Amino acid sequence: MTILKLADDGRPGKQDDVRRRKAASPEAGSRRIAGPLITKRLLSWLGIVLYGGFFLLPIAFLISLTFKTRDEVLLGQFFTSKPVLENWWKAFEFINLAGFIGHSVVIASLSALLTVALATPATYAVARLQHGEFVGSLVLSSYIAPPVVALLPLFFLMRCLGLLNSFSGMILVDGLMNLPVAYWLLRGFLKKVPAALDEAAWVDGAGFFKTFLLITLPLLVPGLFATGLISLILAYNEFLFASLFAQDDRVRGLTVAISLFQGDRFVNFGQMAVASIAGIVPVYLIALVFQNRLIGGLTVGGVK
Amino acid sequence: MNSSKAALQVDLAKSRGGLDQSRLVVAWLMLLPLLLGLLIFAIYPSIYVLGLSFTKSTLGQPFKAYLGLRNYHWLAFGGDDIFVPSLLRAAIFSICVSLVELGLGLWLAVLLASMQRLSRLVRSILLLPLMTPPVLVGTAWKLLLAPGGGLVNGKLLSLGIVDAPISFLGTQPWALLSLMVADAWQWTPFVAILAYAALRQVPDDVVEAALLDGANATAIFWKIQLPMTAPLLLAIFMLRLIMAFKTFDLLYILTFGGPGASTDMAGFAVWRTALRNFDVGTAAAETVLFAAFVSLALLPLLWLHRRVERIAS
Repeated sequence: MTILKLADDGRPGKQDDVRRRKAASPEAGSRRIAGPLITKRLLSWLGIVLYGGFFLLPIAFLISLTFKTRDEVLLGQFFTSKPVLENWWKAFEFINLAGFIGHSVVIASLSALLTVALATPATYAVARLQHGEFVGSLVLSSYIAPPVVALLPLFFLMRCLGLLNSFSGMILVDGLMNLPVAYWLLRGFLKKVPAALDEAAWVDGAGFFKTFLLITLPLLVPGLFATGLISLILAYNEFLFASLFAQDDRVRGLTVAISLFQGDRFVNFGQMAVASIAGIVPVYLIALVFQNRLIGGLTVGGVK
Repeated sequence: MNSSKAALQVDLAKSRGGLDQSRLVVAWLMLLPLLLGLLIFAIYPSIYVLGLSFTKSTLGQPFKAYLGLRNYHWLAFGGDDIFVPSLLRAAIFSICVSLVELGLGLWLAVLLASMQRLSRLVRSILLLPLMTPPVLVGTAWKLLLAPGGGLVNGKLLSLGIVDAPISFLGTQPWALLSLMVADAWQWTPFVAILAYAALRQVPDDVVEAALLDGANATAIFWKIQLPMTAPLLLAIFMLRLIMAFKTFDLLYILTFGGPGASTDMAGFAVWRTALRNFDVGTAAAETVLFAAFVSLALLPLLWLHRRVERIAS
């Protein structure tokens, strides 16, 4: 069993000790399983390559489609003999692709801020002030409930308030939608901040609210950031609510726009692929730049 | 002397009481934003949908007329032959994809744990399917599987495996299988990342002790890692099951419930009843049944999870 070097999720203590011990005497564990290891290695490499190929294939195929003419698409092959660029400028010219992506980014970012702002104090109240234990099961059951439950009631409510087809309406809906997930994640992150700090501040006479703002919140910033990122991505990817609440071109986001091109306007595979790739780019940029924070966030909520 | 001591204690108790009270007030002030959010997004919708389900309603005119239980009766025993099968199909789909993803994801996590240098690169690749909007996952797989111009049919034809392109999304059982493959593409990485974190929680000294005793990697996996991570793996499975029950976007893009209604799943069926047939009352009754069904389906798992956790600890 090899011990992995993982830069990000900083498990302190024992793990590091063992790692250091191993580094000091590298032959300790590895020699005894050297023989059959070579075929094993090969097999696991093969497995990894197969997995990698499977996970990359759809995206790679989309990218290859963006460079194909309509005729060449029909051949159904991966590579093309003469790549063209016209799909790219045509897709951006014919539909307001940049606009749709922009709407999605604005709605997703602001709703992520809303989510974190609403969920953080509640996490603190439950974990540190030890009031409102029931919030946990409330959050869990609202996460288990299928989102269609909220679809129609929210539609009628938003129509009443005049929030349909508005940025504020979509920000509100996406912001509230991610509350359960954010609560979970933040609880995990808060557990990693030592509670003794708060107690020390209380003993010294700082108020509860002040302690939260000045002591805990600064230490929670990485957690807030990871939670915000995950909320942002979930909001960017959201489709069901957006398809009903944002039907106007002025607020329509990318997922709904893509869904509309399925049948009629966008039969050209090449241009559809361009729209898809362009729509994925913002989330992939986030994924690549912040991958350690994202993985840290996913595992803190899911496992701990 | 004694009386002043007592007075001091009373004073202390008083201030402690005041502290507890202010703690309560601050806690509730801090809970309030989340509670308001859940009130709007979870509590109000549940009550509203329950109310709607007893009425004849349309999008333009909710609560048109009181129907009692007639919506439910129609779904369960009346002329509707779409919703109940869609409920069962959602359950079968969710259980199948969650199991497959747990198996594949766990295997991938074990592979990752045995790779030293590559694991970082592989993990970057793993994040991509996970981050892709489900609508675009659907689009990508739709293009891959298309009868004309899709890569899969192109390869099958040029290799001479088939004579005519297969309509993967238009015929059964291909349509349901395609949905499962696309779902596994998106969520196996999620399971792998979580399972990898779970595997890392197994203390290294336990594994090393087993190695010194001559256990091989297979034995270590089945006898040590798997039993020790079982509660976490079960939790991951439940999380995936809950998410799979909500599948909507993928279905909407890939098959739209077709061919016929043979890939309809409950969430999509509700959507269609409400927004294609404009029968909001029936859709509300379907929603209530769906939510009840999901909760009932998860109960035995919650019970199992508690048991496994107790055994493991």
